[in-house]
This record gives sequence, structure tokens and C-alpha cells, in this order.
Amino acid sequence: MPTPRFPIPQGTLDMLILQVLSLEPAHGYGIAQRLEQISKSVVQVNQGSLYPALHRLEQKGWLKATWKQSETGREAKFYALTRAGQKQLAEERKSWARLAGAVQLIFDEGGAR
Amino acid sequence: MRYILNWFRRRKMESDLDRELTYHIDRRVNDLVEAGLAESEARRRVTLEVGGATQIREEVRDVWLARWLRDFVYDLRYSARSFVRNRSFTLTAVLSLALGIGATTAIYSLVDQIVLRPLPVAHPERLVLFDWNGAQLADTFGSSNLMSYPMCRDLQQKTEFFDGVFCRALTTVNLSTGGDTRPAEAEVVSGTYFSVLGVKPVRGRLLNPDDDRAPGASPVVVISSDFWQREFAGAPDIIGRKILVNRYPMVVAGVAAPRFFGVDVGEIPLLWIPASMSAQAIPGFKGMLNRRVRWMQILGRLRPDVSAVQARAGLQPWFKAMLEEDTRRADFPNASAEQRRDFLASTLSVIPAPQGHSMLRKNLARPLWVLFTATTVLLALACLNVAGLFLARGSARQREISTRRAIGASRSRIGRQLLADSILFAIAGGLLGIEIAPVAVRALTASLPHDAGANGLTASIDSHVLFFALAASLVSGLLAGVAPALQAGGESLISSLRDRAGMALGGIRLRRAIVTAQIAFTLILVIAAGLFVRTLSGLLGRGPGFNTSSLVSFSISPDRSGYSAASATQLEQRIADEIRMSPTTESSGIVRVPLLGGGVWANPVTIQSDRRFATNDDVNLNAATPGFFATLGIRMVAGRDFSEHDTLPVDQGGQRVAIVNEVFVKRYFGGRSPLGAYVGMGAAPDAKPNIEIVGVVRDFSYRNVREQGEQIWFPAGMDDLGSNFYVRYRGTAESAFQSIRSIVRNADPTLPINYFATLQEQVNLSVTTERLLAALSTSFGTVALLLSLVGLYGVMSFVVTRRTREIGIRLAMGATRGAAVWLILGDALTMIGLGTAIALPCVWALGRLVESQLFDVKPTDAVTMVAATVLLCSSALGAALIPARRASAIDPMDALRFE
Repeated sequence: MPTPRFPIPQGTLDMLILQVLSLEPAHGYGIAQRLEQISKSVVQVNQGSLYPALHRLEQKGWLKATWKQSETGREAKFYALTRAGQKQLAEERKSWARLAGAVQLIFDEGGAR
Repeated sequence: MRYILNWFRRRKMESDLDRELTYHIDRRVNDLVEAGLAESEARRRVTLEVGGATQIREEVRDVWLARWLRDFVYDLRYSARSFVRNRSFTLTAVLSLALGIGATTAIYSLVDQIVLRPLPVAHPERLVLFDWNGAQLADTFGSSNLMSYPMCRDLQQKTEFFDGVFCRALTTVNLSTGGDTRPAEAEVVSGTYFSVLGVKPVRGRLLNPDDDRAPGASPVVVISSDFWQREFAGAPDIIGRKILVNRYPMVVAGVAAPRFFGVDVGEIPLLWIPASMSAQAIPGFKGMLNRRVRWMQILGRLRPDVSAVQARAGLQPWFKAMLEEDTRRADFPNASAEQRRDFLASTLSVIPAPQGHSMLRKNLARPLWVLFTATTVLLALACLNVAGLFLARGSARQREISTRRAIGASRSRIGRQLLADSILFAIAGGLLGIEIAPVAVRALTASLPHDAGANGLTASIDSHVLFFALAASLVSGLLAGVAPALQAGGESLISSLRDRAGMALGGIRLRRAIVTAQIAFTLILVIAAGLFVRTLSGLLGRGPGFNTSSLVSFSISPDRSGYSAASATQLEQRIADEIRMSPTTESSGIVRVPLLGGGVWANPVTIQSDRRFATNDDVNLNAATPGFFATLGIRMVAGRDFSEHDTLPVDQGGQRVAIVNEVFVKRYFGGRSPLGAYVGMGAAPDAKPNIEIVGVVRDFSYRNVREQGEQIWFPAGMDDLGSNFYVRYRGTAESAFQSIRSIVRNADPTLPINYFATLQEQVNLSVTTERLLAALSTSFGTVALLLSLVGLYGVMSFVVTRRTREIGIRLAMGATRGAAVWLILGDALTMIGLGTAIALPCVWALGRLVESQLFDVKPTDAVTMVAATVLLCSSALGAALIPARRASAIDPMDALRFE
């Protein structure tokens, strides 16, 4: 069995999906694969929340979906970032950086004692 | 918005989602197989990983459409399906709601148009109307809120409070645009009228302050867009055309914006005439610059930073000073000390008037609110009825609901389902009601007095009324649905599941409460109907005080066709002589002010009998030719009628004489004979009571059928005959009409007849409002009675079914059949008694609202109350008796075997 994997923290899945799709359009399965690959299998994508998240982002207008031939030759639903999605991703990255920085600061303070 | 779109393309979205998930699973299986797993093992792993496709699907659906909304839509669909299955139930419920909503919407549409709607001008909320509180000591021409033209000029200077001030008076002119001459509504206005209202021209120019600089200065008119289209077919060269107003040539200066009909709801002026031309627009009128002539309404536009209250307070110092100044003017009348005091104590009101000024509103606002209240009660009744139906159906569905609860539906979930039912009903009822409303509005406006300008009202449903109808439907839906929804699942689950015979309590207590409320509402409506019917029958029963059969009247206005006073009297004399000679005429007479026309000539008078005193109140005055009273069949109680001799001027041997009516004698002579006493016009110390009272007539109606006040009649003589003819004819009305028309045409072919109607028609017109109230309240009362009887019958039948076993046992134990009947009737009696006990105090409280609409009957009239209560109770008992008798017919053996 692989080493224990983390479930993706609450609320960050949307951001990660946007990030993955900012590289290139992908279908649901592809997104899940890529998230695992990039994080070196540290994060675990729960399919049960992946699809609702994709549809939610699509409803918000951050993603656009089209049916296209996939690498296996079958038709798959490919998601791509819209302009609004790119903006949103930039926002989320900024606020994530601030949050992470803040968390780090708090840890550093604790370490200094 | 997107939600709604999603709902409609949900089939496509579902299949897409299926494909998407299948693709995911297949790819994963593929990958695992490639990694060396057996296919069946791979599938098992993937299924575990994904963890239930149904779950995912549900969650994605929640993204598409919020959960509560999705449930609600499903509920609506479920409701719709069950309604289609249950046609008679649906029909009854939807129809009763549609009736209630339709009636309420129709009345609201009239309330909105006549009472609530602001004028279609810019910022109507800043418009105010001025009113004089106290004695104005001025001659009066017109209806209400009247002021003089110089007052308007004064107020125009008060720019610290107002962006602008204008004045207007409504009048009728004889108008000729080249063809026939005919009477037309016109508004005499100050030059500021259009600019203050913010109305724009579509052609030419509108009036401006230059137009009323000086009397006679500006013979121009502005015509309405409607009139331009209708009369001139929208001719582009309309500007500069000449038209004749009372035979006086005037030039069309402009056309007002479409859909602008002046500031008086219910009146549709065809043209606007500057105040400077008032002498031409109102023949014989010379009061434009006179401060002691009140004939116009003054309206103003407040500055944005000033409130009506501030303006009123700010104006008082100036107003007080103006009053002082007025008393020193040469034209100030010789008044008694008391009158002078009243005059100086006057104040000026500044009333917010976003809806303008309207006599129609003044007359109809109260009756309309009464009707609106009645329809609201009717709508509430319809809601109660539907709620009752729901409860009845709810008890039939008890087992279904209990089953649903048993498999996990929450109480609120089931309640929401029932609410969806009632909202669907309400929407259906509302849509149907909106269909009904315009028909009802048309019928209502047709029955309003025609000359009150009902033509200005439309039956179309605008967005405002539509919003009201939808809101009313929604509220009704909630009201009708909330009781059954609360009821749902309120009982023990186990007991209702165990109850096989479907005999669950079924909200019997709630249904009793509903029927009680229905009976209360119904009694209120039935009592109202009784009061209005008694008012109408009282008015018609007393009648106008004269014999209306074979009696016709018409009027002409020679002064509006360029006749001088002397030549007008000659013309009238000639027409009168020919009518008297005509073979179709039995007798005829002329009066100066028409009867039943809503207007009067009124003034205080000074009376000289054994002492001299002035009347505090106005006395209604009029003048008639000899034989007028006989023509109308009005009996002389004492003294004599006028003679031809009386009509001669005093210097030719005539006498100053007067005839008074019985009410006058009763009030001012305490019933003693007034013959030989003298009266004089006015209450001032210098009034000369030199007119001898020579006769007393029976009381009869003057202003309208309702009112029979104190009257003094003078002889209509050579100096001013009057132009309202009353003719009692022989033979058919048709032949009389024809002969009269040809007589007038022979006298002057261009002279229009203002109106021509039988007195019977005029009496009917005079009681239109009362007739409307009586007819509508009766139909409301009838519908209400039917609804509540059905409700009561339903509940009692249900009670009997519920208590079959109990009654069976009682009968088996030896109770008599009568006792069984009483068991049920007692139940009904409690509801009826309680309903009555609730209704009577309400009637007492609502009495104030209807009091002014009643005639000869108090709002708490005992006879009406008792009769209505007896009617309601007896019919309610009748409705309860049917199920009660069934209770007594129960066979104990059957009842016990039942189940």
C-alpha cells in the first residue's frame, strides 16, 4: 500500500482544479490523475467531491466545458478555464499565499520560544 | 435565473453527467487492468473508490438547482398531478379562489385608478393642493377647494417654498371646429399650468405666464393629443387653426403630450384655455381679478427641500397679513362682526396632492374602500373555504402522509408539500382571477354615473394591478395552505397508521374554527348587504318627492353661443311658449338651476318675521316659472304658487315674492306659518329682507335624491328666465322628444342641447352609488352564505361519520333519535353562536366606514342585524340538519359492525 495520503483540505479543491486547468484543458479523470501526479500522490482526490466541484465552478462561469475526443479516442467532457476563472485563480493564489505566510509566521513565533 | 434554465435542460444535463461519470469509471478500470489487475477485481476497486455514483449524481444536482428549490419544483409537479386526478376538488378550490381574487383585483383596479394613482407627470409626490379653512366671504362657482385667481398670483411669488404654482377650473364650453357645435370639457388654467406639471407639447407650444398677463390678452388654446387625433385626424398643420369657443374665435397654439388628461381623475378636458380668457370660456364671468370670487383650485410644486408641513407653517404669516389687507379692500363685503371674525381666523392648508384634485375621488373614495373591504372579506372567506377543502382532503390522505413519515419524510417536508398544493391553487386561481377582473371592471365603470367621468377609467390590468393580484394570490395561497400544513403529521404516527377505517381526527378542531370564522365573515357581509339594500330601497321608496312618470327635462346654454342675457331670455321665452303650445305637452316649467344635477345655488339669508335673524347655514336657492311645481306634481301645502304677475320687474308692478319648503318652515319658523314673513339675500347687517313668502311647498330633492334641505324659490322672470326645461308630456316619450328637438332646432339650428333625459333616468343616475353598493354587497353576501353553508355541511357530515360508532352505541344503550340529532346540532349551534358573537362587535366597529353611505338607517340598525342573524342561523341550521338527521338514522347494529 502507498504511504497514507491526505484528503484535500476543505475549500482548497476548487483552487487546485483551477490551477491544474490553467496549464491546459482536461477532463475529470485527467484532473484527478494530474493532481495525484503533481503532488506526488500526497493528496487524494475524492471523486465524490470532484464532480460536484467541477459543476459548481462551471455554474459560476469560471470553467467552460466542451465534449471532445480524448486521448483514448472516446468522447470526454473537457473543462477549460474562462477569463473569469483566470481572474479567480489569481485571487485565490494571492489569498492562499497570505494565509500560508500567516500560518508560517505563527509557527515561527512558536518555534522561537 | 440560471436555476430556471437548468430546470428546463435538466434531461440533457443528466445524460451528460452519466456519460462523464461512465467515462471516468471506464478509464480508471482500464488503467488498473493495464497495471495488471483482473477486470472484475478492477471494477470492484473502482466502485469502492468512487463510492456510489448515485451519491455523486445527487450532489451534482444540488449544484444545478438548490435543494429546497428542487424539492419545491418536485412538490409542485406532484401537486399538479394529484390535482389533475382530482378534478372536482381542483375545480371547486380554484374557482372559489379565482372569484375572490378576481373581485378583489377588480375593485382594487378602481381604487388604484381613482384614489391611489399619482398623476402621470414628473415627480407627482411634490404636488400640493391649497385649501382655505374658514369663511372666505366670496362668491362661489364650482365644487371644492376653491380659491380666487389673485390668490394663485400671490402664491406664485412664494418661491422660497414652491418651484411653481398654478390654478385651474373645470368648465364646459360650446365648441365648434367647423362643423356642429357641441358641449366640451375644458380646463381654464393659469399660464404656469403646464410648466409646473412638467408636461411637454407634441406640436406647437403650451401655455406660458404671458398668456394670462391681462384679461382677454391671449385668445389661444392647447388641445389634448386625443382630441387632436380624433377631431383633426392628427393633422400636422393643426397649429394656428381657428376654433370657436362659445362662438369666440381662438387659435390652437399647441398639442399636449399624449396620455395627459389634466389634474382631475375622471374628467377628460379636450382643451386648455388661459385664465385670461375666462370671460369668454365662462360666459358672463368677470371675476378673474376679483379676490372675492372663488372658482379655481390652486396647486403647487414644492421645492425638493421643503415639506408640505414646512410650507404651510411658512405661509401663515403672509396669509394672516393678506386677510387683514383683504378686509380693508374696497370689494370686501359688508359683513357682520361674527363673519369678519371667522374670516380673520381662516388658515391656509397645504395638502399633499400627488393624485391631483378630483370630484370623482371625493365622491367615490369612501364607497370604493367599503367595497374593497367587502371583497377582501370575501377573499378571506374563499381562502377559508379552500383551507377547509384541504383539511377534508388531508384527512382522506392521512394514511398516505403517515406512510411517508414512517419512511423518513420530516414533518416540515410534508408541510411544504401541502403548501405547494395551496400555492399552485392560488396561482391558478390568481391567473383565472386576472382574466375575470377586466370584465368586472368594465361592468363596474359602466354602472358608475356617466357624467361623473367614468369614461376616463380603463379596464386593462397594468403592472401595478397585476402585482397586486399576484400578491393577493400568494397571500391567499399561504393562508389557505398554512392550516393544513401545520396540521400535517401533527398526530401520533402510530395511532394514525393503526386507524384502519380512515377515521383519524383529521383536524376536526381546526375545521370547526374555520367554519366559525366563515360564519362570522358571512354575517358581516350579509349585514352590510342588508344595510345597503335598505338604503337603496329607502331612497327609491321616498323618491325625489315629485312624480317622475312622463316627465322629461333638457337644458340649453344660449350664453355659450354668443347670446346676451336679454336675447337669451327672449330665445328661452320663445322655446317655452312653443313647448307649452305643442300637442305632446301636458304642462311645462323652467328653473334656473337643474334638479338632481349635483349642484345648487346656495346662500345664507336674512329672515324678518316677528324678529330679524340671519341663517347660519346656507339655504338652497332656485328660481322657477309659474306652473313649475304643478308640472312636477309638487303639492302646495299653504299659500299660493307664483303667478305671471310675480315675474314682472318690480318697476312694472311686479312683486318680490318667494316660496319656501316644509323643512325650511320647520327649521326657521318652528312649524308656524311663514306666510307674510320676509326674506332677503345674504346674512350681512345691510341685507334687506324685502321678499315676501307667499307659499309653502312639499319637500323634494334638489341637489340629489338623498338630500332634502331647506329651500327658497323665487319666480323666474323676464330678467333671467333660466334654461332648464321640465316638460310633462302626453303620449310616448319618443314623440315628445322629437317635437321638443324640432322646436329647439327651429329656434336656433346651431344651438346644442346639453342633455335630454327623463326624470326617471335622472333619479336612477342620482342613486348609482347606492345601487352599486347594494347590488355588489348583495352578491358578495350571497356567495359568502353559500360558501359557509357548504363549509358547515362538510364539517357536520364529517363529524357524523366520525361519531357513527359512538352514536350507534348511544342508540343501542337506549338514547332516542332526537337525542342523536341534538348531539350533532349542538355542535353546529356552538359554531354558529360563536361566529355570530365574533361578527357582531366587528359590525359595530366597521359601522363608521359605511355610515356616510347609508340613508335613513344606522350602521347598527337592530332590524337589519336581527334579520341577517336569523337568516344566517336558520340557513346554517338547515345545512347542519341534513347530516344530523343522518346521525339519527344510524342503525346501531350496522354502526357496531362497521370497521
